[in-house]
Amino acid sequence: MGKMKIKAKEKSGIVKVKAMFTSLMADKEEAIKKGIKASYIKYIVAKVNDVVVYEVSMSGFMSENPLLKFKFKGKKGDKIVFTTIDNEGKEQTGKKKIK
Amino acid sequence: MDRRKFLGVGLAAFAAIVAPGTDLMAIDFRATKPEAWEVEKTVDGIKALYGNAGLKKSDDLQFKAPKLAENGGSIPITVKSSLDLESIALFQDANPRCLSCVFSVPKGAIIEYDFRIKMRQTAVVTVVGKGRDGTLYTASKEIDVSIGGCGG
Repeated sequence: MGKMKIKAKEKSGIVKVKAMFTSLMADKEEAIKKGIKASYIKYIVAKVNDVVVYEVSMSGFMSENPLLKFKFKGKKGDKIVFTTIDNEGKEQTGKKKIK
Repeated sequence: MDRRKFLGVGLAAFAAIVAPGTDLMAIDFRATKPEAWEVEKTVDGIKALYGNAGLKKSDDLQFKAPKLAENGGSIPITVKSSLDLESIALFQDANPRCLSCVFSVPKGAIIEYDFRIKMRQTAVVTVVGKGRDGTLYTASKEIDVSIGGCGG
């Protein structure tokens, strides 16, 4: 699996996060058509100080290289940790300091 | 070490690594509701995920989507809500399986999620939010897709 790009910025107590994940997001049918193996992220979770701030389970019907944007209440300097799990159960983590 | 044993040990070690990882999830909807990810129609999907409770239309649950999507491979969607929701799911009738994504909302979170989905053809998209008291809220919209995504 590819890399993750994470951006997190704090403004008056609210952190805006943009995260991009590299994945083909090919579900069964699409994989057959393209002649590749099904490959998609099925679960993404983001945590700050071990508290879950964002959590999503998905199917292969999200767009390729999913781009997610969300907001939460947080402060500067904390680290946001993303964990993704793909359809084969492979885990990947990425960290970023909140600016 | 004999090969069979080695494989066994490897498997046990793998299980040990994976197991602590699993409880970091509050709710993994793919594990708890596997049947919801397999059904084709939105109506059945909602039933599989949330049960038979009645759906309530609400203005406090909103989602933004383009009326006409030129590229079905990447349709931007923004879900917003001022309600105290526990989870939000997005269903569509365009693809072989209706469920696109399920968010589980942490307590006190700001509900403003932005993401992109794939749609094979023109269809109705339904967002369902479940409140902490169990009420189901819904909003739906039809999106025109001119070029289908999803390899279609």
